[in-house]
Amino acid sequence: MILVEKEREQKDDGRYIIFYTFEDEEDEGSREDSTS
Amino acid sequence: MNQLRWDPTLGEWVAYATHRQDRTFHPPAEYCPLCPTKPGGFPTEVPRESYDIVVFENKFPSLKPDAPDPDEPGSALTPTAPGRGVCEVVLYSDEHDATLAGMSEERIRNLVEVWADRYEELGSLDYVSYVFIFENKGEAIGVTLSHPHGQIYAYPFVPPRPRKELEAAGGYREENEGRCLHCDLLSEEHEDGRRLVAKGEHFTAFVPFYAHFPYEAHVYARRCAPSIADLAAEERRDLARVLKRLLMGYDRLFGFSLPYMMVMHQAPTNGEEHEGIAHFHIEFYPPNRTADKLKYLAGSETGAGAYIVDALPEETAMTLREAVEGAGAS
Repeated sequence: MILVEKEREQKDDGRYIIFYTFEDEEDEGSREDSTS
Repeated sequence: MNQLRWDPTLGEWVAYATHRQDRTFHPPAEYCPLCPTKPGGFPTEVPRESYDIVVFENKFPSLKPDAPDPDEPGSALTPTAPGRGVCEVVLYSDEHDATLAGMSEERIRNLVEVWADRYEELGSLDYVSYVFIFENKGEAIGVTLSHPHGQIYAYPFVPPRPRKELEAAGGYREENEGRCLHCDLLSEEHEDGRRLVAKGEHFTAFVPFYAHFPYEAHVYARRCAPSIADLAAEERRDLARVLKRLLMGYDRLFGFSLPYMMVMHQAPTNGEEHEGIAHFHIEFYPPNRTADKLKYLAGSETGAGAYIVDALPEETAMTLREAVEGAGAS
């Protein structure tokens, strides 16, 4: 699965809300290894 | 009002947040503030009809980014400080009755991504010294909203328990030619085998030799990664896999969705060096000692800090391991 969107919005009272959206990852091997 | 007061007898901060008395308490499912806002329905915390994973600032925070200087000045002996930090709520799913154990491995994997992102973002704030990711699950733990969610407290200090653990690991490293305490503990658990509960390629779940709760389990990264953000893609995937197996086992243990506290211990974000000292791991503390009996933190545990446990880790690990194997997650 890959993160496709991270949307940050502000609520009426000033607090933030973040929407994380994911979708199926077709080629998992293509994802960058974070330790490399 | 968010205020910190220093306890000089224990050398630790206590946070006061009096507005939390007004927080929502066990609303009926149709008025759950963590569900999506439905057309024509009452406005919840999430102004959308559906969502994947959502993070928002807690409406009743124990710590606030703009906490003012406290009205109460304290004294040199007992100083006060602004309760400055961030408290977030992490919604695992838009399904009200879902649980982490019942979620797909892929969704748990996505959650790992969100946890790592929050660790990095909150940890980059100059007033945050420790990003504490946790979940309280079940009424037995005092949860006021049943919708599947966890929390994150970004503290302006390293809280006592992780601090004590880091000090122990630092001392061990000094006395043992730079060795990691957690790596050595994990090696001993692998060698002994009796307390292992679930083993993945990169993570291992076990009941520690010194468990404080009968069915306490720790999930350790095999590699000495200081934080969740340091995990590689395959390690994150394996963490989701091992968590799923452990959680399914927990739910099979007594035949109901087991309450627990889940906490993550990892490197502080206070700018100090923690390589070889902080070792990312997750600890689970279920309060049940049997299906219908809870372990209470009573006089000895709360007043003396000395835990009395009425079951040996080798026995509870065997029962939990059988539950994990019987639950049948891949």
